[in-house]
Amino acid sequence: MEMIVQAARRPIARRLWLSMRKYWAVMRVSIASNLAYVYEVVFRALSLLIIVFILSQLWKTTFSLRGSHTLSGFSMTDMIWYLVAAETFALSAPPLTDRIDQEVRSGQLAYLLGRPCSYVLYHFAQYTGERFVRLVMNAAVGAMLALVIAGVPHLSWMGLLAWPLALFLALCIDFVVYFAIGLLAFWTENTHAFSFIYSRLTLVLGGVLAPIEIFPQPIQAIARALPFSAILYGPARTLVHFTSTAFFALLMQQLTMLMAGSLLLALLYLVVMQYVNINGG
Amino acid sequence: MAMWRCLRVSWRTLRFIGAYTRANLLAAMEYRSAFAMQVVTMTANDSLWLFFWWNFFRQFPLTNGWQITDIVILWAVSACGFGISVGIFGNTENLARLIMTGGLDAYLSMPRYALLHVSIAATDPTAWGDVLFAVGAFLLLVHPGLEQVALFVLLVMLVALIFTAFHALLGSLAFFLGNTEGLLQPIRGALISFSTYPMNIFHGVVRLLLFTLMPAGFISFVPLLLLRHYSWWLLLGLIGATGVFVGLAMGLFALGLRRYESGNLIGMQA
Repeated sequence: MEMIVQAARRPIARRLWLSMRKYWAVMRVSIASNLAYVYEVVFRALSLLIIVFILSQLWKTTFSLRGSHTLSGFSMTDMIWYLVAAETFALSAPPLTDRIDQEVRSGQLAYLLGRPCSYVLYHFAQYTGERFVRLVMNAAVGAMLALVIAGVPHLSWMGLLAWPLALFLALCIDFVVYFAIGLLAFWTENTHAFSFIYSRLTLVLGGVLAPIEIFPQPIQAIARALPFSAILYGPARTLVHFTSTAFFALLMQQLTMLMAGSLLLALLYLVVMQYVNINGG
Repeated sequence: MAMWRCLRVSWRTLRFIGAYTRANLLAAMEYRSAFAMQVVTMTANDSLWLFFWWNFFRQFPLTNGWQITDIVILWAVSACGFGISVGIFGNTENLARLIMTGGLDAYLSMPRYALLHVSIAATDPTAWGDVLFAVGAFLLLVHPGLEQVALFVLLVMLVALIFTAFHALLGSLAFFLGNTEGLLQPIRGALISFSTYPMNIFHGVVRLLLFTLMPAGFISFVPLLLLRHYSWWLLLGLIGATGVFVGLAMGLFALGLRRYESGNLIGMQA
Protein backbone atom coordinates (compact mmCIF):
# COMPACT_ATOMS: atom_id res chain seq x y z
CA MET A 1 0.00 0.00 0.00
CA GLU A 2 2.82 2.32 1.02
CA MET A 3 4.62 1.55 -2.24
CA ILE A 4 1.55 2.49 -4.27
CA VAL A 5 1.23 5.77 -2.42
CA GLN A 6 4.94 6.45 -2.96
CA ALA A 7 4.61 5.65 -6.67
CA ALA A 8 1.70 8.08 -6.95
CA ARG A 9 3.78 10.81 -5.27
CA ARG A 10 6.63 10.48 -7.78
CA PRO A 11 7.06 13.52 -10.00
CA ILE A 12 5.45 13.30 -13.44
CA ALA A 13 8.81 13.46 -15.22
CA ARG A 14 10.08 10.49 -13.18
CA ARG A 15 6.93 8.47 -13.90
CA LEU A 16 7.20 9.31 -17.56
CA TRP A 17 10.82 8.26 -17.59
CA LEU A 18 10.00 4.92 -15.94
CA SER A 19 7.19 4.38 -18.42
CA MET A 20 9.50 5.18 -21.35
CA ARG A 21 12.05 2.66 -20.05
CA LYS A 22 9.35 0.00 -20.14
CA TYR A 23 8.66 0.58 -23.84
CA TRP A 24 12.36 0.99 -24.57
CA ALA A 25 12.84 -2.50 -23.16
CA VAL A 26 10.06 -3.85 -25.41
CA MET A 27 11.75 -2.21 -28.41
CA ARG A 28 15.13 -3.68 -27.48
CA VAL A 29 13.62 -7.16 -27.20
CA SER A 30 11.95 -6.67 -30.59
CA ILE A 31 15.27 -5.64 -32.18
CA ALA A 32 17.09 -8.59 -30.58
CA SER A 33 14.48 -11.13 -31.68
CA ASN A 34 14.58 -9.82 -35.24
CA LEU A 35 18.35 -9.94 -35.31
CA ALA A 36 18.12 -13.57 -34.22
CA TYR A 37 16.49 -14.32 -37.59
CA VAL A 38 18.83 -12.12 -39.56
CA TYR A 39 18.85 -14.43 -42.61
CA GLU A 40 15.12 -13.93 -42.98
CA VAL A 41 15.68 -10.17 -43.00
CA VAL A 42 18.46 -10.56 -45.58
CA PHE A 43 16.25 -12.73 -47.83
CA ARG A 44 13.56 -10.06 -47.60
CA ALA A 45 16.10 -7.46 -48.71
CA LEU A 46 16.54 -9.53 -51.89
CA SER A 47 13.13 -8.26 -53.02
CA LEU A 48 14.47 -4.73 -52.79
CA LEU A 49 17.45 -5.65 -54.98
CA ILE A 50 15.20 -7.10 -57.65
CA ILE A 51 12.67 -4.26 -57.71
CA VAL A 52 15.30 -1.51 -57.71
CA PHE A 53 17.19 -3.33 -60.48
CA ILE A 54 14.06 -3.59 -62.66
CA LEU A 55 13.08 0.04 -62.07
CA SER A 56 16.64 1.20 -62.75
CA GLN A 57 16.54 -0.59 -66.12
CA LEU A 58 13.22 1.04 -66.89
CA TRP A 59 14.50 4.52 -66.04
CA LYS A 60 17.76 3.98 -67.91
CA THR A 61 15.74 3.14 -71.03
CA THR A 62 13.43 6.11 -70.46
CA PHE A 63 16.34 8.54 -70.01
CA SER A 64 18.13 7.25 -73.10
CA LEU A 65 14.95 7.41 -75.25
CA ARG A 66 14.31 10.97 -74.08
CA GLY A 67 17.92 11.86 -74.82
CA SER A 68 18.12 14.06 -71.75
CA HIS A 69 20.24 13.89 -68.61
CA THR A 70 17.52 15.05 -66.23
CA LEU A 71 13.77 14.61 -65.85
CA SER A 72 12.06 17.27 -63.71
CA GLY A 73 15.42 17.97 -62.07
CA PHE A 74 16.26 14.31 -61.36
CA SER A 75 19.39 12.87 -62.95
CA MET A 76 19.77 9.12 -63.40
CA THR A 77 21.91 8.94 -60.24
CA ASP A 78 19.32 10.91 -58.25
CA MET A 79 16.60 8.64 -59.58
CA ILE A 80 18.33 5.42 -58.48
CA TRP A 81 19.05 6.79 -55.01
CA TYR A 82 15.46 8.06 -54.77
CA LEU A 83 14.17 4.57 -55.67
CA VAL A 84 16.44 2.95 -53.08
CA ALA A 85 15.29 5.41 -50.39
CA ALA A 86 11.61 4.87 -51.22
CA GLU A 87 11.86 1.06 -51.52
CA THR A 88 13.91 0.84 -48.32
CA PHE A 89 10.96 2.22 -46.39
CA ALA A 90 8.21 0.57 -48.47
CA LEU A 91 9.62 -2.95 -48.05
CA SER A 92 10.29 -2.65 -44.32
CA ALA A 93 6.71 -2.77 -43.02
CA PRO A 94 6.02 -5.58 -40.52
CA PRO A 95 2.63 -7.35 -40.73
CA LEU A 96 1.09 -5.23 -37.95
CA THR A 97 -2.53 -5.47 -39.12
CA ASP A 98 -2.39 -9.27 -39.29
CA ARG A 99 -0.96 -9.34 -35.77
CA ILE A 100 -3.67 -7.11 -34.26
CA ASP A 101 -6.34 -8.97 -36.24
CA GLN A 102 -5.07 -12.29 -34.85
CA GLU A 103 -4.97 -10.97 -31.28
CA VAL A 104 -8.53 -9.71 -31.53
CA ARG A 105 -9.85 -12.96 -33.01
CA SER A 106 -7.95 -15.30 -30.72
CA GLY A 107 -8.78 -13.31 -27.59
CA GLN A 108 -5.10 -12.77 -26.81
CA LEU A 109 -5.96 -9.08 -26.70
CA ALA A 110 -7.57 -9.60 -23.29
CA TYR A 111 -4.35 -11.12 -21.97
CA LEU A 112 -2.27 -8.21 -23.30
CA LEU A 113 -4.66 -5.65 -21.85
CA GLY A 114 -3.96 -7.05 -18.40
CA ARG A 115 -0.30 -6.09 -18.60
CA PRO A 116 0.94 -2.96 -16.83
CA CYS A 117 1.47 -1.10 -20.08
CA SER A 118 -0.58 0.48 -22.82
CA TYR A 119 -1.68 -1.97 -25.52
CA VAL A 120 -1.11 0.61 -28.26
CA LEU A 121 2.30 1.78 -27.01
CA TYR A 122 3.44 -1.81 -26.43
CA HIS A 123 2.73 -2.56 -30.08
CA PHE A 124 4.30 0.72 -31.17
CA ALA A 125 7.55 -0.16 -29.39
CA GLN A 126 7.54 -3.68 -30.85
CA TYR A 127 6.70 -2.40 -34.33
CA THR A 128 9.38 0.31 -34.24
CA GLY A 129 12.05 -2.20 -33.19
CA GLU A 130 11.10 -4.64 -35.95
CA ARG A 131 10.90 -1.95 -38.59
CA PHE A 132 14.21 -0.44 -37.50
CA VAL A 133 16.06 -3.72 -38.16
CA ARG A 134 14.42 -4.09 -41.57
CA LEU A 135 15.11 -0.46 -42.47
CA VAL A 136 18.79 -0.72 -41.62
CA MET A 137 19.18 -3.98 -43.56
CA ASN A 138 17.28 -2.66 -46.59
CA ALA A 139 19.23 0.60 -46.56
CA ALA A 140 22.55 -1.27 -46.45
CA VAL A 141 21.62 -3.64 -49.29
CA GLY A 142 19.99 -0.86 -51.34
CA ALA A 143 22.94 1.51 -50.89
CA MET A 144 25.35 -1.15 -52.14
CA LEU A 145 23.23 -1.75 -55.22
CA ALA A 146 22.85 1.98 -55.88
CA LEU A 147 26.61 2.49 -55.59
CA VAL A 148 27.16 -0.24 -58.18
CA ILE A 149 24.46 0.96 -60.61
CA ALA A 150 24.60 4.73 -60.20
CA GLY A 151 27.76 5.59 -58.28
CA VAL A 152 28.21 8.03 -55.42
CA PRO A 153 25.16 10.30 -54.87
CA HIS A 154 25.25 14.05 -54.40
CA LEU A 155 23.53 14.18 -51.04
CA SER A 156 23.55 17.26 -48.84
CA TRP A 157 24.37 16.91 -45.14
CA MET A 158 21.05 18.61 -44.33
CA GLY A 159 19.20 15.97 -46.34
CA LEU A 160 21.07 13.22 -44.52
CA LEU A 161 20.16 14.73 -41.14
CA ALA A 162 16.52 15.45 -42.02
CA TRP A 163 15.84 12.04 -43.61
CA PRO A 164 15.67 10.01 -40.35
CA LEU A 165 13.17 12.47 -38.87
CA ALA A 166 10.95 12.32 -41.98
CA LEU A 167 11.24 8.52 -41.95
CA PHE A 168 10.31 8.29 -38.28
CA LEU A 169 7.19 10.41 -38.79
CA ALA A 170 6.25 8.30 -41.84
CA LEU A 171 6.72 5.18 -39.70
CA CYS A 172 4.40 6.64 -37.05
CA ILE A 173 1.73 7.43 -39.67
CA ASP A 174 1.97 3.90 -41.05
CA PHE A 175 1.65 2.50 -37.53
CA VAL A 176 -1.47 4.51 -36.77
CA VAL A 177 -3.18 3.45 -40.02
CA TYR A 178 -2.24 -0.25 -39.84
CA PHE A 179 -3.17 -0.44 -36.15
CA ALA A 180 -6.56 1.16 -36.80
CA ILE A 181 -7.18 -1.28 -39.67
CA GLY A 182 -6.27 -4.19 -37.38
CA LEU A 183 -8.88 -3.03 -34.83
CA LEU A 184 -11.55 -3.33 -37.54
CA ALA A 185 -11.34 -7.09 -36.81
CA PHE A 186 -14.01 -6.39 -34.17
CA TRP A 187 -16.50 -5.90 -37.01
CA THR A 188 -15.17 -7.48 -40.20
CA GLU A 189 -14.20 -11.04 -41.16
CA ASN A 190 -11.01 -10.01 -42.91
CA THR A 191 -8.92 -6.92 -42.28
CA HIS A 192 -6.10 -8.04 -44.58
CA ALA A 193 -7.98 -6.71 -47.59
CA PHE A 194 -8.02 -3.17 -46.13
CA SER A 195 -4.33 -3.16 -45.24
CA PHE A 196 -3.52 -4.58 -48.68
CA ILE A 197 -5.37 -1.78 -50.46
CA TYR A 198 -3.82 0.86 -48.18
CA SER A 199 -0.31 -0.48 -48.86
CA ARG A 200 -0.95 -0.54 -52.63
CA LEU A 201 -2.31 3.01 -52.64
CA THR A 202 0.75 4.10 -50.68
CA LEU A 203 3.05 2.35 -53.16
CA VAL A 204 1.46 3.50 -56.40
CA LEU A 205 0.31 7.00 -55.43
CA GLY A 206 2.95 7.54 -52.74
CA GLY A 207 5.82 7.67 -55.20
CA VAL A 208 7.62 4.36 -54.87
CA LEU A 209 8.05 3.99 -58.64
CA ALA A 210 9.16 7.55 -59.35
CA PRO A 211 9.15 11.04 -57.82
CA ILE A 212 5.69 12.55 -58.08
CA GLU A 213 6.81 15.46 -60.30
CA ILE A 214 7.67 12.90 -63.00
CA PHE A 215 4.32 11.08 -62.72
CA PRO A 216 2.18 11.29 -65.85
CA GLN A 217 -1.10 13.16 -65.69
CA PRO A 218 -3.74 12.57 -64.33
CA ILE A 219 -1.88 10.42 -61.77
CA GLN A 220 0.30 13.34 -60.72
CA ALA A 221 -2.75 15.45 -59.88
CA ILE A 222 -4.34 12.56 -57.96
CA ALA A 223 -1.10 11.80 -56.05
CA ARG A 224 -0.65 15.44 -55.07
CA ALA A 225 -4.23 15.67 -53.81
CA LEU A 226 -3.90 12.55 -51.61
CA PRO A 227 -1.81 12.25 -48.42
CA PHE A 228 0.15 9.10 -49.40
CA SER A 229 3.11 11.13 -50.68
CA ALA A 230 4.01 12.07 -47.09
CA ILE A 231 4.95 8.44 -46.44
CA LEU A 232 7.27 7.52 -49.34
CA TYR A 233 7.85 10.43 -51.68
CA GLY A 234 8.41 13.08 -49.01
CA PRO A 235 11.15 11.31 -47.02
CA ALA A 236 12.90 9.94 -50.16
CA ARG A 237 12.92 13.37 -51.78
CA THR A 238 14.22 14.90 -48.57
CA LEU A 239 17.26 12.64 -48.83
CA VAL A 240 17.94 13.13 -52.54
CA HIS A 241 16.77 16.70 -53.21
CA PHE A 242 16.71 18.53 -49.89
CA THR A 243 15.21 22.00 -49.79
CA SER A 244 14.24 23.58 -46.48
CA THR A 245 10.89 24.83 -47.87
CA ALA A 246 9.85 21.38 -49.10
CA PHE A 247 11.08 19.77 -45.87
CA PHE A 248 9.08 22.06 -43.60
CA ALA A 249 6.00 21.61 -45.79
CA LEU A 250 6.51 17.83 -45.48
CA LEU A 251 6.86 18.07 -41.69
CA MET A 252 3.62 20.04 -41.48
CA GLN A 253 1.85 17.50 -43.68
CA GLN A 254 3.19 14.56 -41.68
CA LEU A 255 2.38 16.12 -38.29
CA THR A 256 -1.14 17.02 -39.42
CA MET A 257 -1.71 13.48 -40.70
CA LEU A 258 -0.26 11.98 -37.54
CA MET A 259 -2.39 14.10 -35.23
CA ALA A 260 -5.59 13.47 -37.19
CA GLY A 261 -4.79 9.75 -37.44
CA SER A 262 -3.93 9.45 -33.75
CA LEU A 263 -7.17 11.17 -32.80
CA LEU A 264 -9.20 8.79 -34.96
CA LEU A 265 -7.26 5.81 -33.60
CA ALA A 266 -7.89 6.93 -30.02
CA LEU A 267 -11.63 7.22 -30.72
CA LEU A 268 -11.68 3.81 -32.41
CA TYR A 269 -9.74 2.30 -29.53
CA LEU A 270 -12.20 3.69 -26.98
CA VAL A 271 -15.10 2.25 -28.96
CA VAL A 272 -13.61 -1.24 -29.38
CA MET A 273 -12.62 -1.45 -25.71
CA GLN A 274 -16.31 -1.42 -24.88
CA TYR A 275 -16.64 -4.70 -26.77
CA VAL A 276 -13.95 -6.45 -24.71
CA ASN A 277 -15.08 -8.73 -21.91
CA ILE A 278 -12.39 -10.13 -19.64
CA ASN A 279 -13.33 -13.04 -17.44
CA GLY A 280 -10.62 -13.94 -14.98
CA GLY A 281 -9.93 -17.41 -13.69
CA MET B 1 -5.45 -48.27 -78.47
CA ALA B 2 -2.65 -46.35 -76.78
CA MET B 3 -4.20 -43.11 -77.99
CA TRP B 4 -7.57 -44.08 -76.50
CA ARG B 5 -5.92 -44.96 -73.19
CA CYS B 6 -4.04 -41.66 -73.17
CA LEU B 7 -7.27 -39.73 -73.80
CA ARG B 8 -9.02 -41.62 -70.99
CA VAL B 9 -6.21 -40.86 -68.51
CA SER B 10 -6.22 -37.18 -69.53
CA TRP B 11 -9.98 -36.97 -69.08
CA ARG B 12 -9.80 -38.63 -65.66
CA THR B 13 -7.00 -36.25 -64.61
CA LEU B 14 -8.98 -33.22 -65.76
CA ARG B 15 -12.03 -34.45 -63.82
CA PHE B 16 -9.82 -34.96 -60.76
CA ILE B 17 -8.46 -31.41 -61.04
CA GLY B 18 -11.97 -30.06 -61.66
CA ALA B 19 -13.38 -31.81 -58.58
CA TYR B 20 -10.63 -30.42 -56.34
CA THR B 21 -10.98 -26.91 -57.79
CA ARG B 22 -14.70 -26.97 -57.14
CA ALA B 23 -14.23 -28.25 -53.59
CA ASN B 24 -11.55 -25.64 -52.85
CA LEU B 25 -13.70 -22.88 -54.26
CA LEU B 26 -16.72 -23.95 -52.21
CA ALA B 27 -14.53 -24.10 -49.08
CA ALA B 28 -13.21 -20.57 -49.78
CA MET B 29 -16.75 -19.34 -50.33
CA GLU B 30 -17.81 -20.64 -46.94
CA TYR B 31 -16.92 -17.14 -45.70
CA ARG B 32 -18.73 -15.46 -48.56
CA SER B 33 -18.15 -11.80 -47.73
CA ALA B 34 -14.45 -12.38 -46.93
CA PHE B 35 -14.06 -14.22 -50.25
CA ALA B 36 -15.80 -11.45 -52.18
CA MET B 37 -13.69 -8.85 -50.39
CA GLN B 38 -10.45 -10.67 -51.31
CA VAL B 39 -11.45 -10.98 -54.95
CA VAL B 40 -12.50 -7.33 -55.20
CA THR B 41 -9.33 -6.18 -53.42
CA MET B 42 -7.05 -8.08 -55.79
CA THR B 43 -8.95 -6.81 -58.83
CA ALA B 44 -8.66 -3.26 -57.51
CA ASN B 45 -4.94 -3.74 -56.81
CA ASP B 46 -4.19 -5.00 -60.33
CA SER B 47 -6.32 -2.25 -61.86
CA LEU B 48 -4.45 0.39 -59.88
CA TRP B 49 -1.05 -0.86 -61.15
CA LEU B 50 -2.31 -1.09 -64.70
CA PHE B 51 -3.78 2.42 -64.48
CA PHE B 52 -0.35 3.70 -63.43
CA TRP B 53 1.64 1.85 -66.10
CA TRP B 54 -0.89 2.63 -68.82
CA ASN B 55 -0.42 6.36 -68.13
CA PHE B 56 3.32 5.98 -67.65
CA PHE B 57 3.91 4.33 -71.02
CA ARG B 58 1.63 6.86 -72.69
CA GLN B 59 3.91 9.63 -71.43
CA PHE B 60 7.19 7.69 -71.87
CA PRO B 61 6.59 5.32 -74.79
CA LEU B 62 9.21 2.70 -75.60
CA THR B 63 10.49 2.28 -79.15
CA ASN B 64 10.72 -0.86 -81.35
CA GLY B 65 7.02 -1.14 -82.16
CA TRP B 66 5.84 -0.74 -78.55
CA GLN B 67 2.08 -0.08 -78.47
CA ILE B 68 0.10 1.28 -75.55
CA THR B 69 -2.11 -1.86 -75.41
CA ASP B 70 1.02 -3.99 -74.93
CA ILE B 71 1.16 -3.15 -71.25
CA VAL B 72 -2.45 -4.36 -70.92
CA ILE B 73 -1.56 -7.64 -72.64
CA LEU B 74 1.52 -8.10 -70.41
CA TRP B 75 -0.56 -7.60 -67.28
CA ALA B 76 -3.57 -9.58 -68.51
CA VAL B 77 -1.56 -12.66 -69.54
CA SER B 78 0.67 -12.62 -66.43
CA ALA B 79 -2.18 -11.98 -63.98
CA CYS B 80 -4.49 -14.56 -65.56
CA GLY B 81 -1.75 -17.20 -65.77
CA PHE B 82 -0.71 -16.54 -62.18
CA GLY B 83 -4.34 -16.47 -61.03
CA ILE B 84 -5.12 -19.85 -62.62
CA SER B 85 -1.88 -21.31 -61.27
CA VAL B 86 -2.52 -20.18 -57.69
CA GLY B 87 -6.29 -20.69 -57.92
CA ILE B 88 -6.08 -24.30 -59.12
CA PHE B 89 -2.58 -25.43 -58.12
CA GLY B 90 -2.44 -23.20 -55.03
CA ASN B 91 -0.70 -25.69 -52.78
CA THR B 92 2.46 -25.73 -54.92
CA GLU B 93 3.56 -22.58 -53.09
CA ASN B 94 3.46 -24.58 -49.82
CA LEU B 95 5.51 -27.48 -51.19
CA ALA B 96 8.74 -26.53 -49.37
CA ARG B 97 6.93 -26.37 -46.03
CA LEU B 98 5.18 -29.70 -46.65
CA ILE B 99 8.50 -31.35 -47.46
CA MET B 100 10.13 -29.94 -44.33
CA THR B 101 7.29 -30.95 -42.01
CA GLY B 102 6.73 -34.40 -43.48
CA GLY B 103 3.41 -33.27 -44.90
CA LEU B 104 3.78 -35.29 -48.11
CA ASP B 105 2.95 -38.56 -46.32
CA ALA B 106 -0.77 -38.17 -46.81
CA TYR B 107 -0.34 -37.77 -50.57
CA LEU B 108 2.25 -40.49 -51.14
CA SER B 109 -0.12 -43.17 -49.93
CA MET B 110 -2.79 -42.09 -52.45
CA PRO B 111 -3.18 -43.70 -55.89
CA ARG B 112 -2.92 -40.36 -57.74
CA TYR B 113 0.35 -38.79 -58.90
CA ALA B 114 1.70 -37.14 -55.72
CA LEU B 115 2.95 -33.82 -57.16
CA LEU B 116 -0.35 -33.15 -58.91
CA HIS B 117 -2.33 -34.18 -55.85
CA VAL B 118 -0.29 -31.93 -53.53
CA SER B 119 -0.54 -29.00 -55.94
CA ILE B 120 -4.32 -29.00 -56.28
CA ALA B 121 -5.07 -29.57 -52.61
CA ALA B 122 -5.43 -25.85 -51.79
CA THR B 123 -6.36 -22.57 -53.38
CA ASP B 124 -5.66 -18.91 -52.77
CA PRO B 125 -8.98 -17.04 -53.05
CA THR B 126 -7.29 -13.80 -54.13
CA ALA B 127 -6.19 -15.57 -57.32
CA TRP B 128 -9.72 -15.33 -58.70
CA GLY B 129 -9.40 -11.55 -58.43
CA ASP B 130 -6.37 -11.73 -60.71
CA VAL B 131 -8.35 -13.79 -63.22
CA LEU B 132 -11.31 -11.43 -63.08
CA PHE B 133 -9.05 -8.42 -63.61
CA ALA B 134 -7.14 -10.06 -66.47
CA VAL B 135 -10.23 -11.12 -68.40
CA GLY B 136 -11.87 -7.73 -67.89
CA ALA B 137 -8.76 -5.75 -68.90
CA PHE B 138 -8.15 -7.90 -71.99
CA LEU B 139 -11.72 -7.72 -73.24
CA LEU B 140 -12.35 -4.06 -72.40
CA LEU B 141 -9.02 -2.47 -73.32
CA VAL B 142 -7.61 -4.65 -76.11
CA HIS B 143 -10.93 -5.27 -77.93
CA PRO B 144 -9.82 -8.68 -79.24
CA GLY B 145 -11.41 -10.70 -82.03
CA LEU B 146 -12.64 -14.26 -81.48
CA GLU B 147 -9.34 -15.80 -82.62
CA GLN B 148 -7.42 -13.60 -80.18
CA VAL B 149 -9.74 -14.62 -77.33
CA ALA B 150 -9.19 -18.29 -78.13
CA LEU B 151 -5.44 -17.75 -78.32
CA PHE B 152 -5.50 -15.82 -75.03
CA VAL B 153 -7.21 -18.78 -73.32
CA LEU B 154 -4.61 -21.19 -74.65
CA LEU B 155 -1.73 -18.89 -73.71
CA VAL B 156 -2.87 -18.30 -70.13
CA MET B 157 -3.17 -22.09 -69.66
CA LEU B 158 0.44 -22.49 -70.77
CA VAL B 159 1.55 -19.57 -68.61
CA ALA B 160 -0.29 -21.09 -65.62
CA LEU B 161 1.62 -24.33 -66.16
CA ILE B 162 4.93 -22.44 -66.31
CA PHE B 163 4.11 -20.61 -63.05
CA THR B 164 3.11 -23.90 -61.40
CA ALA B 165 6.21 -25.71 -62.65
CA PHE B 166 8.42 -22.86 -61.43
CA HIS B 167 6.79 -22.97 -57.98
CA ALA B 168 7.18 -26.76 -57.88
CA LEU B 169 10.84 -26.51 -58.91
CA LEU B 170 11.53 -23.97 -56.17
CA GLY B 171 9.57 -25.99 -53.60
CA SER B 172 11.40 -29.21 -54.51
CA LEU B 173 14.71 -27.54 -53.65
CA ALA B 174 13.70 -28.13 -50.02
CA PHE B 175 14.45 -31.85 -50.55
CA PHE B 176 18.10 -30.93 -51.09
CA LEU B 177 18.67 -27.62 -49.28
CA GLY B 178 16.40 -27.92 -46.24
CA ASN B 179 14.25 -24.99 -45.16
CA THR B 180 14.19 -22.64 -48.14
CA GLU B 181 10.89 -20.84 -47.47
CA GLY B 182 12.50 -17.48 -46.68
CA LEU B 183 14.56 -17.59 -49.85
CA LEU B 184 11.70 -18.70 -52.11
CA GLN B 185 9.39 -15.77 -51.40
CA PRO B 186 11.57 -13.09 -53.07
CA ILE B 187 12.32 -15.40 -56.01
CA ARG B 188 8.61 -16.00 -56.62
CA GLY B 189 8.07 -12.25 -56.36
CA ALA B 190 10.90 -11.66 -58.82
CA LEU B 191 9.23 -13.84 -61.45
CA ILE B 192 6.02 -11.83 -61.15
CA SER B 193 7.91 -8.52 -61.21
CA PHE B 194 9.97 -9.41 -64.28
CA SER B 195 6.84 -10.67 -66.06
CA THR B 196 4.98 -7.38 -65.76
CA TYR B 197 7.64 -5.15 -67.35
CA PRO B 198 8.42 -4.81 -71.08
CA MET B 199 11.26 -7.05 -72.23
CA ASN B 200 12.72 -4.05 -74.16
CA ILE B 201 14.26 -2.70 -70.97
CA PHE B 202 16.37 -5.83 -70.27
CA HIS B 203 19.53 -6.68 -72.18
CA GLY B 204 22.37 -9.20 -72.36
CA VAL B 205 22.72 -11.72 -69.57
CA VAL B 206 19.54 -10.56 -67.84
CA ARG B 207 17.52 -11.25 -70.97
CA LEU B 208 19.11 -14.70 -71.24
CA LEU B 209 18.18 -15.41 -67.61
CA LEU B 210 14.59 -14.39 -68.33
CA PHE B 211 14.32 -17.22 -70.85
CA THR B 212 16.09 -19.84 -68.73
CA LEU B 213 16.38 -19.70 -64.94
CA MET B 214 13.63 -17.12 -64.47
CA PRO B 215 11.11 -17.83 -67.26
CA ALA B 216 9.48 -14.39 -67.29
CA GLY B 217 10.11 -14.12 -71.04
CA PHE B 218 7.86 -17.12 -71.69
CA ILE B 219 5.24 -15.78 -69.30
CA SER B 220 4.67 -12.37 -70.83
CA PHE B 221 6.95 -11.56 -73.76
CA VAL B 222 6.29 -14.59 -75.99
CA PRO B 223 2.49 -14.46 -75.41
CA LEU B 224 2.62 -10.74 -76.25
CA LEU B 225 4.40 -11.48 -79.54
CA LEU B 226 1.90 -14.24 -80.33
CA LEU B 227 -1.10 -12.03 -79.66
CA ARG B 228 0.40 -9.30 -81.83
CA HIS B 229 1.64 -11.45 -84.75
CA TYR B 230 0.60 -15.08 -84.60
CA SER B 231 3.21 -17.63 -85.60
CA TRP B 232 2.95 -21.42 -85.42
CA TRP B 233 6.67 -21.71 -84.71
CA LEU B 234 6.50 -19.33 -81.79
CA LEU B 235 3.49 -21.17 -80.36
CA LEU B 236 5.29 -24.50 -80.71
CA GLY B 237 8.30 -22.92 -79.03
CA LEU B 238 6.16 -21.81 -76.09
CA ILE B 239 4.52 -25.24 -75.81
CA GLY B 240 7.99 -26.82 -75.92
CA ALA B 241 9.31 -24.46 -73.22
CA THR B 242 6.25 -25.23 -71.05
CA GLY B 243 6.90 -28.94 -71.53
CA VAL B 244 10.53 -28.52 -70.52
CA PHE B 245 9.64 -26.62 -67.32
CA VAL B 246 6.90 -29.11 -66.37
CA GLY B 247 9.26 -32.01 -67.10
CA LEU B 248 12.01 -30.43 -65.00
CA ALA B 249 9.60 -29.89 -62.11
CA MET B 250 8.41 -33.51 -62.25
CA GLY B 251 11.99 -34.78 -62.56
CA LEU B 252 13.30 -32.76 -59.62
CA PHE B 253 10.32 -33.77 -57.49
CA ALA B 254 10.90 -37.46 -58.31
CA LEU B 255 14.60 -37.10 -57.56
CA GLY B 256 13.88 -35.32 -54.31
CA LEU B 257 11.37 -37.94 -53.18
CA ARG B 258 14.24 -40.42 -52.87
CA ARG B 259 15.67 -38.20 -50.13
CA TYR B 260 12.31 -37.56 -48.46
CA GLU B 261 12.00 -38.65 -44.87
CA SER B 262 8.52 -39.41 -43.60
CA GLY B 263 7.23 -37.29 -40.76
CA ASN B 264 5.05 -40.21 -39.58
CA LEU B 265 2.16 -37.81 -39.81
CA ILE B 266 -1.31 -39.20 -39.69
CA GLY B 267 -3.40 -37.11 -42.04
CA MET B 268 -6.73 -37.28 -43.73
CA GLN B 269 -7.26 -36.21 -47.30
CA ALA B 270 -10.74 -35.81 -48.71
